[in-house]
Amino acid sequence: MAQILLQTVWFIPCYPLIGGVLSMLWFPAVTRRTGPRPSGYVNAILTLFAFLHGVIALTAIWNQPAQHQLIPWLNVAGLDLTIPVEISAVTVGATVLVTGLNLLAQIYAFGYMEMDWGWARFFSLMGLFEAGMCGLVLCNSLFFSYMILEVLTLGTYLLVGLWFNQSLVVTGARDAFLTKRVGDLFLLMGVVAILPLAGTWNFDELAVWAQTAKLDPTVATLLTLALIAGPMGKCAQFPLHLWLDEAMEGPLPATILRNTVVVETGAWILIKLQPVIALSPMGMTITIIVGAATAVGASLIAIAQIDIKRTLSYIVSAYMGLVFIAVGTGQAQTALTLIFAYSLAMGLLVMSIGSVVWNSITQDVRSLGGLWGKRPISAIAFIVGSAGLVGLPPFGCFWALEDFTSGLSQTHPFLLGIVLFVNGVTAFGLMRVFGLVFGGKPKQMTERAPEVHWPFILPMTVLMGFTLHVPHLLAVWHLLPGASLNYTATGLLVLSTAIGIGAGAFVYLNEKWEKPVRIGSQALQDFFAYDFYTAKLYRVTVIFAVGLVAQIISWFDRNIVDGFANLIGFVTVFGGQSLKYNVNGQTQFYALTILFGVALLGLLISWPLLVRLSLIVGG
Amino acid sequence: MQLQLQYFLLLAAALFCIGIYGLITSRNAVRVLMSIELMLNAVNLNLMGFSNYLDPVQVKGQVFTVFVVTVAAAEAAVGLAIVLAIYRNRNTVDMEEFNLLKW
Repeated sequence: MAQILLQTVWFIPCYPLIGGVLSMLWFPAVTRRTGPRPSGYVNAILTLFAFLHGVIALTAIWNQPAQHQLIPWLNVAGLDLTIPVEISAVTVGATVLVTGLNLLAQIYAFGYMEMDWGWARFFSLMGLFEAGMCGLVLCNSLFFSYMILEVLTLGTYLLVGLWFNQSLVVTGARDAFLTKRVGDLFLLMGVVAILPLAGTWNFDELAVWAQTAKLDPTVATLLTLALIAGPMGKCAQFPLHLWLDEAMEGPLPATILRNTVVVETGAWILIKLQPVIALSPMGMTITIIVGAATAVGASLIAIAQIDIKRTLSYIVSAYMGLVFIAVGTGQAQTALTLIFAYSLAMGLLVMSIGSVVWNSITQDVRSLGGLWGKRPISAIAFIVGSAGLVGLPPFGCFWALEDFTSGLSQTHPFLLGIVLFVNGVTAFGLMRVFGLVFGGKPKQMTERAPEVHWPFILPMTVLMGFTLHVPHLLAVWHLLPGASLNYTATGLLVLSTAIGIGAGAFVYLNEKWEKPVRIGSQALQDFFAYDFYTAKLYRVTVIFAVGLVAQIISWFDRNIVDGFANLIGFVTVFGGQSLKYNVNGQTQFYALTILFGVALLGLLISWPLLVRLSLIVGG
Repeated sequence: MQLQLQYFLLLAAALFCIGIYGLITSRNAVRVLMSIELMLNAVNLNLMGFSNYLDPVQVKGQVFTVFVVTVAAAEAAVGLAIVLAIYRNRNTVDMEEFNLLKW
């Protein structure tokens, strides 16, 4: 049984796809009477099937070598586009993670989307996402990964734009699509350029090729830059990070997915491409710079946000920045562990704040407060998520970060400082959100805030359990360092966490500290609160340039190109209009015309004769 | 001074040109007909000249001239009839008034 399920592991992406297609039956325009709820149930059931399939397959592949399957797709002259499927513990485990988080997010959505008629569209898109992500982790080819990334970009556009009657949703979906699309297009350049160099798109073969490849340094640098640009957009790294902020306008259950797994699709590709990126020292450096800049910048922005969803979305960018640093320093295994631990913790955090937003309505942390006594489960979920996210032993991300920092402490002490800083600032930021939302006294918006009902609590507590079990899972997978603990780096990590949490608690759980908190100048606070004015930056650089060029080209097209074509027509019309005056109705004029014609013709015919005559006369 | 063929031809050409000038510039329709007669006479002069100098035996040109005179008379008759018909309708013989086909 398990072997059969293992051999058909390629079917996992098909369950949610079927669910997504079935959901369409409950579009309000199709099923007009009974409401859209069954679409959600169908999707959850199919996701459950996919999850169980993945779990059973995982037990079968556990401790086994990776298997490979080939699904023929297209074979044209000289180009063999066969879909390679890699069945290993990592890939099947990733499908379990994706489907598991999806299942929880979908159950969560039963509660969250209670008062919404858009279930069918929402769940069909969730199904599309789940299918795309499962397909992405299973397929072992850069080309097909790129294809799936593009499908997911479209999915993001549609899912962020679910409630399209809100104007900010429309602009957010637009930015999410275009920003990710730009990154994807650069990735496509890399994908196309790597084929003549390596002769394959298979990740394993690429890794083998990269070990012995001798590339011109410029070519290698450009190639790796193109390959990083895709994940840069997907993972919301600087400077392609604004979309994630604006994507917070979408429905919250989708945010659970986006913040945990969707942004990791880019990281997954990046980790898989790590051997290729290692070809170019310049590419490695740039990966590190991008990751470090994002991690530092985004974690600082996160603590200056007042929108509760955005306080988390920048932490997503920051943690993906850490993944970039890990890949740039060649610690692909650490990056995978970090992703695993991070996604569970972040999923829990988003679920917790989603449950707060659902019945406290406002997302402004300044008008929330004092929920600790009333919303214990949500608060504990937030605490567990925070603990799992920052380097706090013995929780999940601590082990990944510990691995990471001890790796860095030997090779890149400077990056170690950055990781510790980001960890500390994130701890501070999470403590700030906790203090503002759950601590303090109730504000007007939170005076009557009941705990939410079971569709919120069930996935939240289940995920809390998973998050708490991450260290245990890591131990089972032999990913814990054991005796080889680097005490200096670990100590610094714990210290940074403690400072972050302590400072956060001191400022935000302290009634005497005046709120809203003022630190430094207003300009500095605004600088972080407005995300380094990235929106303005886009407007004055890329959008301005593209808009200007578009206007110039449009003007050129309308006036020069069209004008030339119109000029021909105009000249013809003008010619007809003016030449008609030759027909002036005077018979005598016609006679004159005939005379001229005859004279001219005679002259032409007799021209050689006349020339010879003139020669004779002249001579 | 001996009369040469060229002189006849030049005279005929001059007459033809005068005829054309009259044909194109006259405003009176009858004068247009008269100009045509002048042109026909220029042609006749050519025919006679060539006949006299180049074909003095068979004088084929003179025969042609007779035909031309005949046809010219017939054409003048028809032309005058047409002018008369137009005059009865339009009450004028001014060539510039007959411009129904103006643009």
